[in-house]
Amino acid sequence: MNYPVWFLPAIGGGTLIAFIAIVHVFVSHFAVGGGAFLIALEKKAYKEENKEMLEIVKRFARFFILLTMVFGSITGVGIWFITALVNPGGISFLIHNFVFGWAAEWVFFVLEIIAAFVYYYTFGKMDRKTHLKVGWIYFISAWMSLFLITGIIDFMLTPGKWLESHTFWTGFFNPSLFPSVFFRTFMSFLMAGVFGLFVLSFYEKSAAKEKFVKYSSLWVIISIILMIPFALWYVSVLPVEAKSLVMGKSPTIVITKQVLTYSSIAGILLGAIVYLKPDFNKFFVSLIIFLAGFLIIGSFEWTREAARRPYVINKVMYSNMIFENEVESLKSEGFLKKAKWVSIRNITDENKIQAGKEIFIHQCYACHTIGGFNNDIKERAKSMSYTALARYIEKIHKVRYFMPPFAGTKEEAKALAAFIAGDLLGKEVKEPESQKLDGKTIFENNCSSCHEVEDFEDLISGWSKEKVRKALDMLDKLNEEMPPFEGTPKEKDTLTEYLLKISGGEK
Amino acid sequence: MINNLIPNPDTIQVSWIYFQILLLLTTPIHFFFMNAVLGSAGIASYLHFKKDEKAKKLAHHIAIFLPLAVAFAVNFGVAPLLFAQVLYGQFLYTSSVLMAVFWISIIAILIIAYYLAYYYDFSFEKLGEKGKWIILLSFVLFIIIAYFFTNNMLLMLLPETFPKWFKNMGGTILASSDRVFLPKYFHNLAGAMAIGGLFVALISCFKSKKDKEIADYGKEVGLKTFFYFTLINIEFGLWQFLTIPGSIRRGLIGGSTSGTVVFVIALLSILLALVFSWKKNLKLTAIFGLTALLFMSFVRDFVRQGYLKDYFSPSSLKVVNDYSPLVFFLVIFLIGIFVAYWLIKKAIEAFN
Repeated sequence: MNYPVWFLPAIGGGTLIAFIAIVHVFVSHFAVGGGAFLIALEKKAYKEENKEMLEIVKRFARFFILLTMVFGSITGVGIWFITALVNPGGISFLIHNFVFGWAAEWVFFVLEIIAAFVYYYTFGKMDRKTHLKVGWIYFISAWMSLFLITGIIDFMLTPGKWLESHTFWTGFFNPSLFPSVFFRTFMSFLMAGVFGLFVLSFYEKSAAKEKFVKYSSLWVIISIILMIPFALWYVSVLPVEAKSLVMGKSPTIVITKQVLTYSSIAGILLGAIVYLKPDFNKFFVSLIIFLAGFLIIGSFEWTREAARRPYVINKVMYSNMIFENEVESLKSEGFLKKAKWVSIRNITDENKIQAGKEIFIHQCYACHTIGGFNNDIKERAKSMSYTALARYIEKIHKVRYFMPPFAGTKEEAKALAAFIAGDLLGKEVKEPESQKLDGKTIFENNCSSCHEVEDFEDLISGWSKEKVRKALDMLDKLNEEMPPFEGTPKEKDTLTEYLLKISGGEK
Repeated sequence: MINNLIPNPDTIQVSWIYFQILLLLTTPIHFFFMNAVLGSAGIASYLHFKKDEKAKKLAHHIAIFLPLAVAFAVNFGVAPLLFAQVLYGQFLYTSSVLMAVFWISIIAILIIAYYLAYYYDFSFEKLGEKGKWIILLSFVLFIIIAYFFTNNMLLMLLPETFPKWFKNMGGTILASSDRVFLPKYFHNLAGAMAIGGLFVALISCFKSKKDKEIADYGKEVGLKTFFYFTLINIEFGLWQFLTIPGSIRRGLIGGSTSGTVVFVIALLSILLALVFSWKKNLKLTAIFGLTALLFMSFVRDFVRQGYLKDYFSPSSLKVVNDYSPLVFFLVIFLIGIFVAYWLIKKAIEAFN
C-alpha cells in the first residue's frame, strides 16, 4: 500500500523471486564451501607432491571463478533487484534496519573478489604457504558474508527480542542465527562436494582424479550427516506457529520435507557408492548427486520461506507489505482511505469492482496469480459465491493462519469479493435479500472456502444425522486444520440437513 | 496526488550525513570501474576490427583486464546502491517497479555480457577474427545496461511521472521521453568512453617491461580516446546543463555556494585533464581526469537533491540513533582495507 506493485497477473512476483533465489543460493553456497574445498585439495596435492593433482586443482579453480564470480555474484545482485521489485516495502525495512550489516558484508564481498582473483591468477606463481593463506582469506571472507546475510535472513523468520528492543544486535543475533549458520556452513560443504563430483566426471581417468572423487564424495556424505542435528536445532527454535507449519500443518511443507529426506538419502547412498568405487562417478551418476544437492538446498529454502507465512518479517510485516500494527486501523478507517497507490478512495456501486481490483493488487497479489500456475485465485475461489467470499475474506487469517488478515472495512471486503466473484469468475454479485439463512447459504458462508459440494458424497457417506450434527460441534477436534463452526444451534441443524442432502441422504 | 504517491520512508539508524558521506565516497569508485568496463570494451572492439597486429595485441591485453573491471564495477556498485536506497529508497524502489521489466533484465544482460568478456579473454587466440564479434556484442550489451540505468536514475527524480503506473502496471515505463534523457545518456556514454581510454592507458603500463611497443601504443590510444571523447562530452554536458530545470542550473552557477564550488572544480579538472592528455602526460591526466570524475559525481548528487527538493530532503529522515552498527562497519572496513592491501601486495610480488 506504500509502494506501487509490479502487476503481472498470470506470473506473480513470488515465482520470479523463487526462480532467481534458488539458482543463486545453490551457487552462493558453493562459493563458500568451494573455498574450503579448494584449500583442502591444494593441501592434499602439496602433501603428496602430486603435480597431476595440482593441475586438477587449478582447473577446478578456473571453473570456480567462472561460476561464482559471474553467475554467483550477479544473481546475488539479482535477488536484491527482484525482491526490491516484488516486495519493496520488505526490502526497504530490512535495509534501513540492517544497512551496516549489509555494508560489512559488502566489505567481505570485496575481499572475496580480490582474494579469488589473486588465488586463481597467481596459481603456481606464488609460494605455497602464501597461496594457501590467500585461499584462507577467500574462504573466511565468503563465510563471513554467509554469516552476516544469514543473520538478516533469519531475523525475518525469528525476530526474537528485536520485537521489544528494535535494535540492530538483538535482531541480528536472533534465535535461529546459530543453528542456521552451522546448517548453511555444512550445506556449503555439501555443495562443494557435489560440484566437485560433477566437474570431476568430465575429467579423464587418472589416479589423481580417483583420489579427488573419493575425497569429494566424503564431503557429500559427511556434510549431509552433519546437517541433520543443526536442522533439528533450527526447527526447535522456531516460533510456535512456524513450527506447527513445518511439523505438518502446511501441506506444501510436508511434500518439501519428503523431497529433502529422499534427496539426502540419495546423496548419502550414491556418495558412499562413489567413495567405494570412484569409477562409478560417471556423468549421469554425478548429475543425480548434483540434483540431489539442488533439491536439498531448494527444499530447505522453500521450507524456510513457507514457514514464515503469512509474514515477510515474522510478527512485523505481512507478505503483502502491510505492517501487523497497521491492520486494526486499516480495518476501522479503511484501506482505500489510507493507502497510497490507489485511485479510488470511496466505494460506490459503479466503482466497486475497480476498488476490489485495487485491493486485490495490494493485498492478495503478493501470493495469488490470476489464471497463473501459482496459487491461482480463480481456482482457489471457484466454489465460492460472492456472499461466501465476502464473509470468508473477513475471517481469512482465522480460518487459514498462513494467509494475512484482510486489512480493510466490511465494505472493502465486499468490493474485493465482487472483483473476484464477479469480474474474475463471472458470478452474480448480489447482496442477500433476507437475513434468513438456508442450508445452502450456511454452507457457502462457512464451508465452501475449503470444501466442494461433491466432496460430501464420500466425506460423510454412511453417517447418521446425529453423527453429522455432533461433528459440527467439534470440527477442530476432528481435524485441527478446521476452524470451529461459529453458527447458532439452529444453523447447525439446518446445515446438518443440507449436508445429508448433498451427500445423498441419511444412511 | 504526487505527494500522495511517494512512499513513506523508513527510519534510519544514524544521521543522514553519514550515509551521504558513504554514498559520495563509494559512487565515484563504482563510476570509474563502470566507465572502464564500457569504455575499454568499446576500445577493444574498435582495435579488433582494425587489420593490424599491434591493435589486436592491445585488444588482447584489454581482454585480460575487462572481466576484472566488470567484477569490481558490480562489487563497487553494491555500496552506493545500498546507501542510495537508505537515503532515497522511496523514489528508487518506485521508479524500479515502474520500469521493472527492464530493470530486472539488466541481470540477464549483465551475465551474458560478463561471460562474453571472459570468453573473449580465455579464448582470445582460439577465437581469432570471430573475437571481434564477441567483444562487440559484449560492448553493445553494456550500452543497453547503461540505457536502463540512466532511465532509472532519471525516473526516480521525476515523481510527476509516477501516476503513469495506474495505466501501466506491467513495469514497462521509461523516462526516455524526458528532455533530459538523451543528453544525460550521451553524456554518460561519452564519459565512459573517455574514462575507458584512461583505463586502457593505465593498464598498458603493466606491459612496459615485457612489451614496450604495446605499452606505448596502449598509452597513445588510451589518451587519444580520453582527449577526443572528453572534448565531445563537453558538448553533451552543455546540452544536459541547458535541459535540467532552471533552478538547479542556477544553483550550479552562483545560486548555491556548494553547488558552484564542486561544479567549478569539476570543470577546471576537465580542462587540465584535456591539456595533459594532449601533452601525453598520463600521470597528470589520470590525476585530473579522476578528480573530474569525483567532482562530477558530487555535481550529480547536487542535481539529484535539486530535483527532489520539492518533495523530500534526506535531512528530514527520522533517526533512531543506533550508532554501534556503524562502528562495527567502520572496523570491518579498516580491516578490509588492510587485508586488501596485503593481497594486492602479494599478487604484485608474485608477478614480479
